[in-house]
Amino acid sequence: MPKYAMVIDQRRCVACMACVVACKNENDVPPEQYRTRVLEMVEGEFPQLRMELRSELCNHCDNPPCVYNCPTGASYKRKEDGIVLLRKNRCVGCKACVAACPYDARYINHEKGFADKCTFCEHRLKEGKEPACVATCIGKSRIFGDMDDPKSPVRIALQNSDATVLLEGAGTRPRVYYIKKFSKPE
Amino acid sequence: MELTVTGVNALTSPHLHIWDWRVSLYLFLGGLSAGLAVMTTILHLRKGGALVKGEPAGYIAPLLVPVILGIGMFFIFLDLDRKLNVYWFYLTIQPLSPMSWGSWGLLVFFPVSGLFALASLPDDKLSWLMVEPLKNLAVATRVYLFPLAIINFAMGIFIGIYTGVLLSSFVARPLWNSAILPVLFLTSALSVGAALMIMIARTNKVRLWFTKMDIWMILAEMVILPLFFYGQFTSSGAHRQSIMPFFSLSHEYSFYGFSMLVLFVILPIALVMKMLEIKEDHEGELTSQALAKMRLSACLVLLGGLIIRLTFVYAGQLSKFT
Repeated sequence: MPKYAMVIDQRRCVACMACVVACKNENDVPPEQYRTRVLEMVEGEFPQLRMELRSELCNHCDNPPCVYNCPTGASYKRKEDGIVLLRKNRCVGCKACVAACPYDARYINHEKGFADKCTFCEHRLKEGKEPACVATCIGKSRIFGDMDDPKSPVRIALQNSDATVLLEGAGTRPRVYYIKKFSKPE
Repeated sequence: MELTVTGVNALTSPHLHIWDWRVSLYLFLGGLSAGLAVMTTILHLRKGGALVKGEPAGYIAPLLVPVILGIGMFFIFLDLDRKLNVYWFYLTIQPLSPMSWGSWGLLVFFPVSGLFALASLPDDKLSWLMVEPLKNLAVATRVYLFPLAIINFAMGIFIGIYTGVLLSSFVARPLWNSAILPVLFLTSALSVGAALMIMIARTNKVRLWFTKMDIWMILAEMVILPLFFYGQFTSSGAHRQSIMPFFSLSHEYSFYGFSMLVLFVILPIALVMKMLEIKEDHEGELTSQALAKMRLSACLVLLGGLIIRLTFVYAGQLSKFT
């Protein structure tokens, strides 16, 4: 069984936002709402400034607080591949998952009322395709694959770099890894 | 076209608050009904039932518990974005979700408090029930008054704690993610319950008994609240940052700073007023002035409970795990 994960190689991101547009188009995300975003953050003190471009999305955590806090079992982690998904018919729109997510990855779909989020484009995975954001990424910053397959792009990317996860201290064990633009491997 | 997407949350855009005044009111009214349920049980069982004799609060307060709880549940229902799916709460049990076991707890508390209200109705008030089956049920449940009172008490404590646990289970929101929060909410629930009981009561002995009880509850609140802030301040950077809105006088956080200022003024005032009340001579009827003072101090306690729920619900969403 695959164990899907994503690597964001921040060294290759140019903040073209093609991933954001592809995601909105693929998943019919309402206007002014996003399943993924690219943060542009300035760090440091003048004149030692640098900009970090960071793609953020649902981390499909192995220890997902959104799933644990869901009162109806609408949010669940799929056993076959570890993707965190939503049974829309069960969602009551209580927003517990939105409050529980430390990554602010969830939002209430204003048009349909359920707690929407990234699904790693699981409908495309069924067809053997990559998620829309990965397929469209011109800099190959977004890398997707099976962590259990030694030949998969994510395993290769992680083997050759110093990757981190977001908010490791939260104990959520995310499946989205970041190769930071300015960090150097030991 | 230039498209820029940045991470925005309630801190940068207040309209992105996840939960709003509806959830605050639900937590306040849920806590109030829980506190009142505990107080009604105490009223019925204290001194072998001597306290409740000749006291209208003995049957009015139990009737108010399911009514207040119902209004609170209505507000949480208003907050749901998919109201027609509400039945899913009761088609599953999610043991790790406080909202799940809380909703099952409410399902138990609501009928228990209703049955206790029926059981505590005296003969001359049975006409309030209008329909014959309800009157028969009220008579039939009287023999179970004691066990119902005990369950009512236990469920009151459970719901009082649950209103705090609902918030404290989120690792993502450092202000809420504290084990002291459920204790604070329970104490506040008991305090507002006692305050409402004072407002309902008609006899001096009951008013004074619950005034004494409220003094202890306010004192407990005044110890737990600073302890909560101290715990947050000495914890991680995110926890320390999470309480800053309460202690900032900048216009951005003026709501929280002002609310905390009000809270730290009204709770001691209510405490002093109550301490003066129990020192007065209450042999005869209370003068209208003394009664007004008693009700004013009870209103201050209720206001304090509301402020705690409103500010904590909103400020928690400004805090973020970092």
